[in-house]
Order: sequence, then C-alpha cells, then structure tokens
Amino acid sequence: MKLRLFLRMRSVARVDWLALLVLIIVGALGLSLWQSRFDSSYNMYVLLRSISVVIIVGFAQMVVLAVGELNLSVGALGGFVAVVLGMMLEVWHLPLPLAILLALATGLLAGLLNGLLIAWSGINGFIITLATSSAFTGMSLGLTQSIPFYQLPASFTQFGESAFGPLPYVLFVTLLVSLLLAGLLGKTVLGRQLLAVGGNRAAAELSGISLKRSLVWVHSISGLLVAVAAILGTAQLGSAQPSIGADWVLTSFAVPIIGGTALLGGSVSVIGTFLAAMVIALMNNGLILIQADPYWVQFLLGILILGSVGLGQVRVAWRDWWRKRGKEEKKSYV
Amino acid sequence: MMDSKQSGQSRIFSGWRIFSPSTLLRVSPQVGLLLVNIVLWVIFGLVSGGFLSSFNLFTLGRDIALFTAIGLAQMIAISMGEMNLSVGAIGGVAAIFAGWLMQVLGVPILPAAILAVLLGAGMGWFNGWLVVHTNINSFIVTLAMASVYTGLLLIISKAQAFSNLPLGFINFGQASIGFFSLIIFLVLVMVVLLIVLYRNSELGRWMLAVGANRRAAQFSGIPVGRTLQIGHALSGLLAGLAGVLFAARLASALPSIGVDWVLPSFLAPVLGGTVLSGGVVSVVGTLLGGMLVESITNGLNLLQVNNFWVLFFQGIILLLAVLLDRLRAVVAQRKGGSKR
Repeated sequence: MKLRLFLRMRSVARVDWLALLVLIIVGALGLSLWQSRFDSSYNMYVLLRSISVVIIVGFAQMVVLAVGELNLSVGALGGFVAVVLGMMLEVWHLPLPLAILLALATGLLAGLLNGLLIAWSGINGFIITLATSSAFTGMSLGLTQSIPFYQLPASFTQFGESAFGPLPYVLFVTLLVSLLLAGLLGKTVLGRQLLAVGGNRAAAELSGISLKRSLVWVHSISGLLVAVAAILGTAQLGSAQPSIGADWVLTSFAVPIIGGTALLGGSVSVIGTFLAAMVIALMNNGLILIQADPYWVQFLLGILILGSVGLGQVRVAWRDWWRKRGKEEKKSYV
Repeated sequence: MMDSKQSGQSRIFSGWRIFSPSTLLRVSPQVGLLLVNIVLWVIFGLVSGGFLSSFNLFTLGRDIALFTAIGLAQMIAISMGEMNLSVGAIGGVAAIFAGWLMQVLGVPILPAAILAVLLGAGMGWFNGWLVVHTNINSFIVTLAMASVYTGLLLIISKAQAFSNLPLGFINFGQASIGFFSLIIFLVLVMVVLLIVLYRNSELGRWMLAVGANRRAAQFSGIPVGRTLQIGHALSGLLAGLAGVLFAARLASALPSIGVDWVLPSFLAPVLGGTVLSGGVVSVVGTLLGGMLVESITNGLNLLQVNNFWVLFFQGIILLLAVLLDRLRAVVAQRKGGSKR
C-alpha cells in the first residue's frame, strides 16, 4: 500500500519534469529563433554558469522539504560560509583545499545546529531557522562590516570562470552533487527513511524511524549543500560577499517547488529541481536578451511558483476524480 | 511541523500560588515580558545616559509603535494558523502608492493615506482569496505574492522614491504630545480595536477557531473560507498602515520600505505568546514583544554596539524566547501532571 502510494507519487513527479522539459525546449527554440544572440556559445556558458549555483541552493531546500520541514536560513548561512571562506583565505592565508574543507564543515555544523535545536526543543522549524538566519546574517555583517573579501587565490577564481567549451567547470561540481543526492535519496536506507518521514510522519515513527534523527540529518545535509553553493558562488563572483545569499530564500523555494517537490514532504524530484533551475535561468536570459526591466524577473518568479503549485493541485484533484469515477464504475459492474 | 497547544493551557494559573517558583514559570508570558521590559529599561537607563532622554523616548516610542503595527499584521495571520510573508511587500506598495497619490496626483493627505491602507487590505484579501480558492498553503501563496507585489511595484514605479510629500504628512511623522509620537496613539487605537475584535466579536472567535482546528471549525458551521479572506484582508490592512506610517516617519516614500520586515513581523507576536500553529493570540503580548525588541535594539545602539551585530542579537533573542517559552510549557505540563 505504502509502496504503491510512493510509486504513484513518483510517477506524478515524472510527469512534472516532462512538462518542464517541454517548456525548456520550446523556450530555448523560441528564444533562438527570435534572438540570434541566444545561440552563441558565450550565452550558453552564461546560462549554464548561472544555473550551477541555483540548482544547489534549490537542493538545500529540497532535502528539508522532503521531510515536510523548511529552512529559512539558506541565504543567511550562504553569506556566512562565504564570509568564513573569505576570512580564511584573505586574513589567515590558509591553503585553498583546507579553507574549502573548513567552509564545508562550517555549513555542516550550522545545519547540524539548526537540526539539533529543532529536534531537541520541538519548536517549529520555521521559527528556529528564522532566528538562526538572523543570527548568521548578523554575524557575517558584524565580522566584515559589510565589506567583501577581494583577495582570493587566482586558482580559485579562475576555477569559477573557466569552461570546457560552453560548459563551465562549476557545472560539473553541480552535476556531481546532483548524482550524489539522487543516489542518497533514492538508493540508500537513510534516503528512503527521510522520504517516509515526509510522506507520513506518524506511520514512519511507528515503523521505527526516528523523527528527531531525520530532522538532524536533513538540516545537516541542507547546511552542507548551502556551503557548496556558497563556495561555488564565491568562486564565480571572484569575491566573498556577505550578501551572496540575499535572494536565495525565494529561489530556494521556487526551484524545488516548480520542479515538483511536494511542499508537505514525501516526494522529491532531483531532475525536476535541475530542470526548474533551467526554466528560471531561461526566463532570466530571455528577459535580458529582450532588454526588459530586470524587475520583471521577480514578478514572473512569483507567478511561476503559484502557477506550478496550482497546476499540481489541479492534477491531484483530476486524479482523485478519475480514481473515484473508476471505482464507481467497478462497483456498478458488480 | 510541530508545536504545542499546551502553552495556551498553561496560562491558566490559580491566584494564590503566584509567588512559588514553579508558578513563576507558569505565569503568562505577557507578565514575564512586562517584567523583562521593565528590567531592561532600568538597566539601559542606568548604563546609558541618553536612554531616558526625551528625544530618545520619542524615537524609541515611535519605533516601538511601527514595529508593533508590523507585528500585529503578522499576528492576525498567525492567529488563523496562516502566515503572511508578504507583509513587507504590501507595506512597500502601500507606502509608494500613498506617496504617488500625494505627490503626483495631489490628493489630500487623509484620503491618500486611507486609499493606500485600503489597497493594502485589498492585496491581503487577494492573498486570502488565493489561499481559499486554490487550496495552496499560505506560506507559498504569500511568498509568491510578495514577489509578485514587489515586482509589480518596481516595474510600475521604476524603483522611484517620492520625497516631495506634503508638509502635513511629514509633520505628522514628527509630531508628538509630550514625548509620545502621534503614531503611538494610532497604533494603540489599533491594539484596542484588535483586543475588542478577538474578545468580543464573532469574527475574532471565528478566526481563532479556524486557527485552532480548521476541520472542527468547518463542522461547527463557521464560514472558514470567508473568515480566512477577511483575516488576510485585515493583515494586509495593518501592513498597509505600517507602510504609510513608515513613509511618514522617513518623510519619504521609498521602495525599500518593507524589504526587511519578515523577521521583525514574526518576532513581536511570537515573543508575545501568539502560538505559531494558530488558535491562541495575544494582542498585548505583541505590543510588549515589539517593545522588548525595539528597546534592546535602541539600547544596544546607544551603547555603541554596531548596527550589524544588532541583527545577530535579534536572532538570538527570538531563539532564547521560544526556547524559554517551550521550557515553561514543559515544566508547567509536568507540574500539572504530578498534581493529579
């Protein structure tokens, strides 16, 4: 029964990303017919470069959504990790690999802190992460006085800019992270347990899965992913900015939700998240190519979130109606 | 998402045991907040000379009032078990709309302000309409609509500020009786109206019932959909009011008004004992919560603590407050259990 429910959720998710794929193909074709600049290899590079970080930010929220929770501190933590990284490189002159490792550890620990606070206190994760996000932002602003770190090693910033043809190096990191995450959620016991908690909390607890442990796990993974995004973002920008995550909160919800991750938990879509980031990047790119007001991005992002959630509701209602009809027909035959 | 409904129950305590330590933990958070506020004022008054100066009391009072208005807007949404992440966006739109009406169209101050506040109510109502008719979680609806409202505002206004506002409007923002800003009185009127709404009106009880248990509310014949829409409209109305008052305070309608309201809007009601999952509300608590946060911010600023760190302390305060409240609820529950 549970398995069937799960499979049905997955099949819904699959339809979801098919629609996104069609949207991307149509959008890309339309843009390339309309604006010849779209096809240029440089534009492809810009497009792929911009989605690399966005996808990981989306993943950071997606893992938390998987258990039916949310993490409002993604942006603030991203800024904090960037600041810590910048400080280690510019002020303490640590070697790059060590600095990156420590930055990852910072994200992981901060996420762990979120998770432990939520699990121990039993307070709504919304409030806890709202509070910690304020604390993280305050710390990164207080430490830097809002002045970014510019003296980063050349090898690091070059990595952020270099590309293999139109494929930026950063994208390969994103692909690797996506594969690892898909494997973790789809193939491991832990991943299955997390999705089970999201699907039905009570049922999962009754079958012996610890809710508290799951909360700590997802928040730790989320913190780690935020750290990856912050490191990649810093490499791309060429400077460690405390404001790097300023607009990540909205993006982090938009990307997985448009990609078909259920808000109430239990169903995630790694591919959907990937494609949704692509849709948003295409939208941005198109708006820039037609030289529209940059403010349209914000407006359209809001519409896109509402539209995709609304569409999901319609699909669920349609399926329920269809199933009910099917049952009634069967009954009448008997 | 978990939350305890017990904290509402713990607020009932028998009068004759007030002074025992265990009951101190069980005392309502509002009384605790008042005590904390008083202690803080005494400390800041002693430590920093400027805290109790009449000029500082004027600005502090005004900031508390504005902060409380933002908190009340969120409190209404929370009382119904909803959220309104678009308080800031609505406040910004209302501020710019009021500025545009006054500066460009030359509309007199009062009608312009009323129209702007009504626009806020309209935006809130639309949030509610979407929540009811699409059945999408209010978190997502208001998150997306915040983006839509702000986007529309910036597209239409081209991110332009309105700084040539009528003198009367600017004077209103600076006016005071004694060292009480006029804005305080306006917000106090709102506080009283909301107390009456929740205590004595059918709508207030409907809103709490919807927040406490939506299904039960539906089965007992409460028009849940209409209640949600009116509640969201009220939340938008207060957010719009806060936006207009903010413009008066700044003497300029800036598009950046409201950008950083989301955290503060939750701080005041949650500190004041409004339960996040809905059904329990404290209007006075929101006022006291707003007072606490603004007093700390103001006091820290006077003590030369860098503004950037103030944000850090706000986060820590919220964290400590919810943890303490949780501890209080747990202790109260344990005591209540052992008594039986």
